[in-house]
Amino acid sequence: MPLIEARGLTKVYRLGRVDVPALRGIDLEVHEGEYVAITGPSGSGKSTLMHILGCLDSPTSGSYRLDGRDVSGLRGRALAHVRNRKVGFVFQTFNLMPRMTTDENVALPLQYRGGISRRARLRRARALLERLGLGERIGHRPDELSGGELQRVAVARALIGEPAILLIDEPTGNLDSKAGAEVLKTFREVHDAGNTIVLVTHDPNVAAEAARTIRLVDGEVAA
Amino acid sequence: MAERRAWAAWSEWGDLALDALREIRAHKLRSVLTLFGIVFGVASVVSMTSLSSALEDMAYDELQRMGMPRTFRLVDRGPRSDVSRAEELRHVGLSLGDIDALTRLRGVAATFGRNFAGRQLASTELDQRVIPIVGVDAAYLRFRNWPIVRGRELAPLDIMNASRVAVIGEELVKPFFGSAEPIGRTIQLDGVRFRVIGVVAPIELELVPADFSFLARRIYVPYTYVTRYYRGRRRVDDVMLKVADDFDFPKVMLAGATLLRQRHRGSEDFEIENEAADLASDLAMADNVLAGWSIVLFTIAGVTLIVGGVGLFSVLLISVRERVREIGIRMALGADGPDIRRLFLVESMILALLGAVLGVAGGTGLVMVTEAIAAGFGRDFFVPVHLPGAVAAVLFALVVGVVFGWYPASRAARLNPIEAIREL
Repeated sequence: MPLIEARGLTKVYRLGRVDVPALRGIDLEVHEGEYVAITGPSGSGKSTLMHILGCLDSPTSGSYRLDGRDVSGLRGRALAHVRNRKVGFVFQTFNLMPRMTTDENVALPLQYRGGISRRARLRRARALLERLGLGERIGHRPDELSGGELQRVAVARALIGEPAILLIDEPTGNLDSKAGAEVLKTFREVHDAGNTIVLVTHDPNVAAEAARTIRLVDGEVAA
Repeated sequence: MAERRAWAAWSEWGDLALDALREIRAHKLRSVLTLFGIVFGVASVVSMTSLSSALEDMAYDELQRMGMPRTFRLVDRGPRSDVSRAEELRHVGLSLGDIDALTRLRGVAATFGRNFAGRQLASTELDQRVIPIVGVDAAYLRFRNWPIVRGRELAPLDIMNASRVAVIGEELVKPFFGSAEPIGRTIQLDGVRFRVIGVVAPIELELVPADFSFLARRIYVPYTYVTRYYRGRRRVDDVMLKVADDFDFPKVMLAGATLLRQRHRGSEDFEIENEAADLASDLAMADNVLAGWSIVLFTIAGVTLIVGGVGLFSVLLISVRERVREIGIRMALGADGPDIRRLFLVESMILALLGAVLGVAGGTGLVMVTEAIAAGFGRDFFVPVHLPGAVAAVLFALVVGVVFGWYPASRAARLNPIEAIREL
């Protein structure tokens, strides 16, 4: 059974009186352990698709099964809980909490899972940071870290909840080439460890990292 | 299991408090300015309730001092004119024997007989005037808290012997004796020579509007003297009874009246004056006045607190707008609406609590300043911080925090995560 199974996903935004279709019927399957890149020019619908796959948004029509559960009808709190357990996000601009230390940032998703003590959460976060080679950065604030380190902390935060999929949005957009390469290496290691990655990018070099590339044009999967 | 869930819930509040404190610390100036209203509101509640309760205590003290707690009087009322029953016609009258009997009654701690000798001519070499002469019992002046400023007061021996000794009012010292020492000197009352043994002053009250200056214009002699030379037949005008602390006041009062009725063979020739009850009603009236003041003060403080709440409200709205992106990230990581609402509600409550704590400190400071000013005027004015008032103010500030935090927090909770993240 595929981890992600999308059938005929559409998304229509209403701008005033005009309906603007962003997705026009996407069929997509991602199996466990895959490394998939979604590419396409801006406006092709790749951000919208990522939001739906990441349970930040729900499709206008079509079905979406994530890890065996149909989540296309979920809204609000239910969607938030799926997001917390099944999805790990890595954003283009890292989006770490500036006033929290690295380990506190990484532990944050566990806070919203509930029932795990702060001490246990931080212990898990530190262990994960050690594993990703960021042990020396534990206890530091984001403004003391380099861009590459920040992105790796963000990866750790995405992985802490042991999600079904890792959703990565333009990971190298804000990094120089050296830091970019470093981050891509981290993704490869994470993938090698058995994680499923869906990466959204318009950079062909980044997309080349993935085993499979899905190209979107005007809200449809290009052949 | 339930225990574990409860613990987890508590630890979650701890996490939220930590987040809130971090946010408050990052905006110290703004937070302090936000809290001004709440600080002032709480400070005014604390200082006002402390002052009013201290004044209340002082007034209560004075009433206790001027009054006679747990006492009643049995007063001879003379023959009645409107009686129909024969035995009531027969007026027996209060006597020294009655006082002896009442003194031995269970539950009676002390008795004080009294006789009014009326206005009599008093004279010394310096002056002569008509002065009210009152016959009182031993230690009566002290029992009424009327201060003996010189010499001593009437002693049991003076009463037993019906001695010709007098305690004179303070205002009479100068006209009768000039600047000379009055103790040991002689004063003629109604033609009889008395030795002055003491001087009594009026009690001074600051808060209770009662004039006791007449005390200083009277002369006090043993009531037994008045019985012997003015009343005759061992008669006494009235007797005051003090009820022992561990006895039921109404029961003793009833027992006293019953005893007297028996001794007078059923004649209702006396009245019971319950001055303690009169005092209690005075105290209740004072309480009412102060309660009225408390309502006014609480209203003012409440309005201040609500104004403080509006300040909190606007700053939280600004904070929510500033933190849209942070809210989006938290939502992407799995925070649901209630999680986000709690985040801001806890911040609001902590701000309010902080304001309340500062307010309690400020109010305590105000109270201390008041004490210092009173001390500067040479007045001893101890004002303890009124704990119920402080607790009420802190709780009310917390309520203000929740009420005025609710809307901004709910607005944050309703944000769309995609739009919130897009604010990059």
